[in-house]
Amino acid sequence: MLKKRNMSLLALLILAAIMLVACGGAAGGTATEEVEGGDQGGAEGGEPAECAGDDFGCAVIEPGQTIKIGMGAPMTGDYAAFGVDISQGGEIAVQDAGEFNGFTFELVAEDDEGSGEGGAAVANRLVADPTVVAIAGHIFSGATEAAIPTYEERGIPMLSPSATNPPLTQMGSKVFNRVAFTDAVQGKFAAEYLYNTLGIRRLAVMHDGEAYGQGLAEVVAEEFGTLGGEVVATEAITPGESDYSAALAAVADADPEGLYYGGYVAEAVVLVNQMDSAGLEDVAFFGCDGTFGADFLEGTDQNGEGAYGTSLIPPSSPEKDAFDQAYEEQFGDPPGTLSPFTWNGYDSVAALIYAIEQVAILGDDGNLYIPRGALVAAVRGLTDYQGLGGTITCDETGECNATGPTFYVVQDGEWVSVNEAG
Amino acid sequence: MQQSAVSPSPRVRLPANSYGIVRSVLGLVLILFMAWRLYSMLTTGTFGVDTWARWATSGLTLGAMYAVVALGYTLVYGVLFMINFAHGEIMMIGAFTGYLVFEVFNGIVVNPATELTVLNAFPIVSVILAFLIGMTVSMISAFFLERIAYRPLRGAPRLVPLISAIGASIFLQNAAQLMFGPKRRYYENPGVLPHFQGWPVTIGGDSVVISYTGTLSVIVSIILMIGLYILVQRTRLGRAMRAVAEDKKTAALMGIDVDGVISRTFMISGALAGAAGVMWGLHFKVIVHVLGFVPGIKAFTAAVLGGIGNIPGAMVGGIFLGMVEALGPGLLGIDQQLQDVIAFSMLVLVLIFRPSGILGQVLNEEKV
Repeated sequence: MLKKRNMSLLALLILAAIMLVACGGAAGGTATEEVEGGDQGGAEGGEPAECAGDDFGCAVIEPGQTIKIGMGAPMTGDYAAFGVDISQGGEIAVQDAGEFNGFTFELVAEDDEGSGEGGAAVANRLVADPTVVAIAGHIFSGATEAAIPTYEERGIPMLSPSATNPPLTQMGSKVFNRVAFTDAVQGKFAAEYLYNTLGIRRLAVMHDGEAYGQGLAEVVAEEFGTLGGEVVATEAITPGESDYSAALAAVADADPEGLYYGGYVAEAVVLVNQMDSAGLEDVAFFGCDGTFGADFLEGTDQNGEGAYGTSLIPPSSPEKDAFDQAYEEQFGDPPGTLSPFTWNGYDSVAALIYAIEQVAILGDDGNLYIPRGALVAAVRGLTDYQGLGGTITCDETGECNATGPTFYVVQDGEWVSVNEAG
Repeated sequence: MQQSAVSPSPRVRLPANSYGIVRSVLGLVLILFMAWRLYSMLTTGTFGVDTWARWATSGLTLGAMYAVVALGYTLVYGVLFMINFAHGEIMMIGAFTGYLVFEVFNGIVVNPATELTVLNAFPIVSVILAFLIGMTVSMISAFFLERIAYRPLRGAPRLVPLISAIGASIFLQNAAQLMFGPKRRYYENPGVLPHFQGWPVTIGGDSVVISYTGTLSVIVSIILMIGLYILVQRTRLGRAMRAVAEDKKTAALMGIDVDGVISRTFMISGALAGAAGVMWGLHFKVIVHVLGFVPGIKAFTAAVLGGIGNIPGAMVGGIFLGMVEALGPGLLGIDQQLQDVIAFSMLVLVLIFRPSGILGQVLNEEKV
């Protein structure tokens, strides 16, 4: 017994010793680097005055180094498609940016697996590199939430292409911003479109009872009421079933002019197919970004004609076409095949590059100085920046999507953006 | 689920009287509440006549399909006293088979000039073939299901084949996902039998659509039910099935091949499920590997409602459940999402007052 305990004690001691040695080595290494950096800046006197006045100091990019923009994204696992796709969109933004005062940009996409733990780990890894000045991310809301405190501490601004969870901008963070529109924003724009553009006054609202669909439907109902319209029926359905004709008949009884649905494509297909026979022949179907996609077209066929959908995919423009072409040339598939967020990935990185170029100062010593505090303010202060998906203007909480989603309508079996629809 | 599966069986004796009184009072309160809601909904005239008609048609269509699936549960329960939880998956196999038959027919072009395919050139033959092939494939699946998952457990306690059934259900669902992918598929109906269209009938000043596919489903269901009734009541196999249901040991002593009868019972129930699957696809268009689960549970409920082990009971239970689901929320003036709550509340109510189901007693008398 005693012998055994002795053995385990010994093992523990050895382990502790190994860890101490490892940690000591690592700590020592960082310390020397920092000292070196400080020496250079001080000795040559290249550091501009802005750096001393900045709360977080300057990021120093020496000639030959790249200006790094970090990204925490799921690059492996179930959601790898999102991470890969969004970082590919960002990659093109980096290429488009080209050289800035002789420096180039680099996108560093680290795998956070979309999880909270992964998000925190990636954030710590990225802040350890002093040349990482901004973060285009993270991709998933959970990972983003876990990562925010680390960036907050170091004064590194974030501009997420896809973290849509509403509370993220309500936590008083100075560094977190996003170009993705939240469900609340989408619902508001949808209600306005229904009321103002389509001229609908009697609206029926349906949802699948899930957090996403119900939340969206409630926002639409509320906004629609505020605008002066009447919500004549509200029905929830159980997701995953093949028959919603009874619920639709109940909606038809209220005689609506339009039907808004918050939920996913599987249920939307069933609903749209059964609308006519349930007595909703002349009623416009209005879906959300969950119901948008090729699957909707295939499933609804003739019945889908005239149905509306919402998407992140921006309407066609020369810039978007150029992006689409570059994306397909480099990565093989047309954009949008992996996720609908790749355009946001581009916008996010491009807007960060724009903000960096606003604040960066080329020192006399040839180093590029980027005052971190000023960059945080510059990203939050983005105004009327034209991205692929529309105007980016950040409000005081960090919501930067000023255009809202793009609305699409089914015409001749294709999704056509409403601006181009005949 | 196991509870409700067992309780309606005539073998379970309900305990003490005080428990019975509580039950009755609870049931009465529920019935009174429902009656009050019903009265207030009908007197206020919240919904138009056309809406009631639409609910009734959709309830009847769904109910007819539930009934056909419920027959399979009831048949198997009748001879084996076990719930075949993989029955919904057999239905799914039928739906996919019908889909593939239509896809093949739609791929063969008869007249290149007009791009006329076999599907549209011979629509009636195509539909009949889809039903027959769907039923055959489901029948074969059910045969192997019984051989592999249930027969080795014939002597085991009742819970064991039940667990095996759930396992088989999960296996079949995943196998279908591997074979067909998780993507939803859409039935390509022949031109004469389009989805979601039908004869308009003017009721209450608005036109109510009586769908073609729904009508077809109801007719096919009725044919299948009559066919099954004749098979069970008038043929040698039917007599053997009834004998096995009565008493396996005695049946074996009378020279009946019990295993063979059980096997054939599974095949008949599989064929019914296959037909229901094809109807499902024809009527609802969307099929996916998990499609069997919900109708499976509902049909099981229908079978229990009608009195499990009882063939007319399954028919009545199916139609009753479909109608309650469609009309219930409107009658009680509550959200349509709660249709399942109403359906299962009806199950509870029926079981409180008639523990062996709506027609369960008839079976007992016959057996006695």
